[in-house]
Amino acid sequence: MNSGPATNTDAGWIVSLLQAGDSFYPTGSYAHSFGLEGLVQAGAVHDRATLREFLFLSALPALRHVELPLAAHAYRALGEPDWVRMEELCVLSSAVKTASEARQASHNIGRQRAELAASLHGHPLAVAYLEQAAAGGWPFSASVSAALEGRMLGAPLAAVMAGVYYAAIGGQLAAAMKILRIGQNGCQALLTEALAQALAIIAAAEQVSFDEIGWFNPWLDIAAARHETADGRLFIS
Amino acid sequence: MADFYGQLSLRAEARDGRTVLAAQAFRAPFHVSKPYWDADTGTLLVQVVNPTAGILSGDKLESDIAVGAGAALLVTTPSASRVFKMREGSAECLQRFSVERGGWMEVMPEPLVPHRGCRYRQVTRIEMEPGGGLFFADMLMPGRVAHDEAWLWDSLCLEVDVRLGGELILRERFHPSGEELKAMAALMGSGPGACFGNAVLIAEEPGDGWREAVHALQGDGLWIGASRLRKGGWSLKFVATDGVRLRQGLKETRRLLSARFPHLACDARKL
Repeated sequence: MNSGPATNTDAGWIVSLLQAGDSFYPTGSYAHSFGLEGLVQAGAVHDRATLREFLFLSALPALRHVELPLAAHAYRALGEPDWVRMEELCVLSSAVKTASEARQASHNIGRQRAELAASLHGHPLAVAYLEQAAAGGWPFSASVSAALEGRMLGAPLAAVMAGVYYAAIGGQLAAAMKILRIGQNGCQALLTEALAQALAIIAAAEQVSFDEIGWFNPWLDIAAARHETADGRLFIS
Repeated sequence: MADFYGQLSLRAEARDGRTVLAAQAFRAPFHVSKPYWDADTGTLLVQVVNPTAGILSGDKLESDIAVGAGAALLVTTPSASRVFKMREGSAECLQRFSVERGGWMEVMPEPLVPHRGCRYRQVTRIEMEPGGGLFFADMLMPGRVAHDEAWLWDSLCLEVDVRLGGELILRERFHPSGEELKAMAALMGSGPGACFGNAVLIAEEPGDGWREAVHALQGDGLWIGASRLRKGGWSLKFVATDGVRLRQGLKETRRLLSARFPHLACDARKL
């Protein structure tokens, strides 16, 4: 980061990254609560206080240990495209999600993001990535595709990770408004509090080695597993 | 504390309609009980014994257990693995399990009990050939609950990698601080003595109805959920308010699955 005036080049990636992170961008993420609905159904998360606890005890650590490091490693691997590493990251992203719904959510959002990147921008990196993924039968990953978007748009790694961070927390809070008695102001207060942690968590996540990627919350995995067969549900995951 | 290297190597093979230990080698602190052939389930039961008090600073434990085609092995331990307080240093355990096509392995040790101030890392690598079967179950206690000592480890890292035909199908890395896990247990309503079970089933399709039956075990202090892995099997997770409830949940799950996988009817406590 610097304090100098933004250049036209900066503005180019900023507006495109804003587009990719907007709820108007059709990734399908609005259909997922990323496990939160299962915890609400289990009665563990039931108000603003317990939602806050969930964010800080589960959602942020998952970002710190899994999704942000995946994005960082993918961003580096896409610099001079290392397709072997990219395959490893896509498989790892799938393998660390033991709950089927969480895995499928990341796959679907990641695929949609990668396909949009290729169709909207026609960028050769996105096209090459889709070709490699199709040839190898790779699973898609939301975080890996976010790194692809960032590379394609010329965004720096910190901005890509900030986008992943915002999308994850914003998505869960948007879902929370539909399944909990919490309003927009309450969610914005929690979002602000979570965003205050962003720089420290992003900095820590950048240091996570490939072998150290992984983290899980057993209650969340159990709730997600039971959500698959729930009698009623609002969200896909 | 001086480093202490323990090694264990076992290989089970099918011979004359039974399973035998075709190769075994170990050195302290590992010891292996006399194997027991359970004719009812067609399973060879082996207890891996650590005759010392438990895991101490400087311990480096390595094990490699393999099952060949047509063989069936249940590996267990006779008592909980206590990881003791470490004034300095740490302890590590690297365990590798492999199953060839047509083989079956169950790994069901007694729980891990991390004491106050311990530093422990356990790495589990499971390598399956397509057509091999496995049930792996690990249990974690929060500490010496009876002594009001829980969630007080310095560092704890439990890793499990499962590969099927060389492809990574599961990576789990569980490394919360005691404070984090204690807070999460409070949030989720699992109480101050919450215990954890983590099981992996690698096998042909278990058939219909089993997951609903397993999920129906939830209640009275037990949380349980089963979800399909990206390929080749299932993840089953358990949280219980105490160790007794956790064992009950795991025992009932084995009983339910034994209808489809008869080796799971082998009683691990037969020795």
